Amino acid sequence: MVLLRIYGTLRMMLGGRESVELPWREGDTVGALLARFQAGERIPVTHKLVDDRCMLHTGTIILLNRRNILHLDRLETPVRDGDVLALFPPGAGG
Amino acid sequence: MGNGWHGKVLRVNLTDKSCTVEPLNMEWAAAFIGGRGLASKYLTSEVDATVDPFSAENKLILATGPLTGTYGAANGRYMVVTKSPLTGTIACSNSGGYFPCELKYAGYDLVIIEGKAESPVYLKIKNGEAELADAGHLWGKTTAETEDAIRAEFHGDAKVACIGPAGESLVHYACIVNDKHRAAGRSGVGAVMGSKNLKAVAVRGTGGVATADNAAFRAAARDTMKMLRQHPVTSEGLPALGTAVLVNIINQSGAMPTRNSQCGTFDKAEDISGERLAQTYLKRNKGCMGCVIACGRVTRLADPRFSGTGEGPEYETLWSLGAACGVSDLAAIVQANYLCDEYGMDTITMGSTVACAMELYERGLLGDAETGMPLKFGDGDAMVKLVEMTGKGEGFGVRAGLGSYRLAESCGAPELSMSVKKQEFPAYDGRAIQGMGLEYATSNRGACHVRGYLVSPEILGVPEKLDPEAVAGKAVWAKAFQDVTAVVDSAGVCLFTTFGIGIPQVTRLFNAATGSGYSDEQMMEIGDRIYTLERLFNLKAGIDPSQDTLPKRILEEPLPDGPMKGAVSHLPEMLAEYYDVRGWEKGIPTAEKVKSLGLA
Repeated sequence: MVLLRIYGTLRMMLGGRESVELPWREGDTVGALLARFQAGERIPVTHKLVDDRCMLHTGTIILLNRRNILHLDRLETPVRDGDVLALFPPGAGG
Repeated sequence: MGNGWHGKVLRVNLTDKSCTVEPLNMEWAAAFIGGRGLASKYLTSEVDATVDPFSAENKLILATGPLTGTYGAANGRYMVVTKSPLTGTIACSNSGGYFPCELKYAGYDLVIIEGKAESPVYLKIKNGEAELADAGHLWGKTTAETEDAIRAEFHGDAKVACIGPAGESLVHYACIVNDKHRAAGRSGVGAVMGSKNLKAVAVRGTGGVATADNAAFRAAARDTMKMLRQHPVTSEGLPALGTAVLVNIINQSGAMPTRNSQCGTFDKAEDISGERLAQTYLKRNKGCMGCVIACGRVTRLADPRFSGTGEGPEYETLWSLGAACGVSDLAAIVQANYLCDEYGMDTITMGSTVACAMELYERGLLGDAETGMPLKFGDGDAMVKLVEMTGKGEGFGVRAGLGSYRLAESCGAPELSMSVKKQEFPAYDGRAIQGMGLEYATSNRGACHVRGYLVSPEILGVPEKLDPEAVAGKAVWAKAFQDVTAVVDSAGVCLFTTFGIGIPQVTRLFNAATGSGYSDEQMMEIGDRIYTLERLFNLKAGIDPSQDTLPKRILEEPLPDGPMKGAVSHLPEMLAEYYDVRGWEKGIPTAEKVKSLGLA
């Protein structure tokens, strides 16, 4: 299984749900898991993270085991069984 | 004047009780813009850098920018510039809300407050009229009580900036609170105000701000606001969850300074997160005047122990009164945040000082006889109690009111203060975010995140993603961010706009408002000039380059946990490059550099 932790406005859209578990598949990538996450929801959700060309929004943070995928292989980053993905729509502060 | 600047300075001498209007030095305005830059120019020209911050010779300058009060973007900001009692450096603290615009609408670019009143007074400004009034009956009141009382006796629509009891008792990190919940927070500007026996500045302004080219300004404002309304951070992230959304982001990234920076993740971060705040005490968001972002948080606390309404806590406060103290009791954090607003104290230094005290206590360097109570990490009630004692100037709170450095030093362990130049660093661990460590070390007002917010590229990926572990090139980014921030702070624009816009938009607004014709490069040079001017003041004040450093813990103790486990700050490598990029020889601006910036 892969655990997707949901944060920020994404969590608010999903009624406060903090995480979702998805079965792991051989050859899984971050992008593939996002697609399956979307397929399992009734409302659009992944548009908060990526645009309609599947490009990450500026400011989207996706951590794979707490490492930003922008420093890995972005949406092509391989995912292993038991991994944890943290999904943050663009947010900021200071 | 009809060009962003009013061309007027109100000079208030508290010693001889005079209020006079003088023309703004337009040559300086052209070279330093306004706000932070222009006030720094006045301060450094009029105040000896070696003065005691609490002496009558120190001055307190309230400064709007040429864009303050215009409808350009998020232009409700002003700066307070003085010499800091906490750090001994130049202090410049920024605040938003409605007071800054009201000050501009009253017709002044700057208010320079000098001398010292014999007894408590407050300053009343009604458009072109200014006078000092007795404030004996206000002394001792909280910030909200003070604002209500002044509005009742002066003008129902007046906007008020005031100190609370903490500023009166010279808590070294007392702030100036305006509109009840907005604060010029850092470096003890409220303590300087208290030392002058000035309780408040109340303003009623009914004028406006003329712009040099109305059509060009309207077009620039329209385009800027469109960008802010379309950028996902400024259109959705900040309005929905405010700065508090950072709790989980920074914690998941392993950069959350926890238990006085003994580790980089807080296992109960979810309990103090923006998401949790939204589920519990958050009522709605709120903006400063004319702001399209509206990141403010209106909250209502309902808990068996506490009740009340207010604004915040912001991310920095959720960290300082929360993770830094090991506290996951959200109600206690919200309550302590309210207390900081009421007593008028900077939440960052307050929380970090509590965290330092907790480590001193747990190490046996402080005992019950001194603190009057157990002070253990994770105890939310003790944290609230110490905040209240500090605000009231009671018991151990008197020592806590000096900040973490002086407290830790008095216990023989100054290295346990997580500060630079005696100002506590905010909510990002310099081991996990290398550029922020450099930023803390080189900030002209001591450790600070809003002199150059490298968290934006290093963690948030805005405007582009940098590797937080990388060292090479961070000096160039630090200088660029510091210079941009100096420009934004001087123009009167909110720094948060820079998540969605950049120098080109600020320059366009500035040129249209003032009739100037600056290029983006010239604006960046102004940022460099302001930064270097502040540096020169600090050097004269005796703050030498050896103080461009970080706590030993950040330099030598590897992070014990999280994704950045094992990391330490590589400050020495970055600092050498930084000095080169700045044109500073071993930390001191060269004569050529000073001359090239027109500062000779």
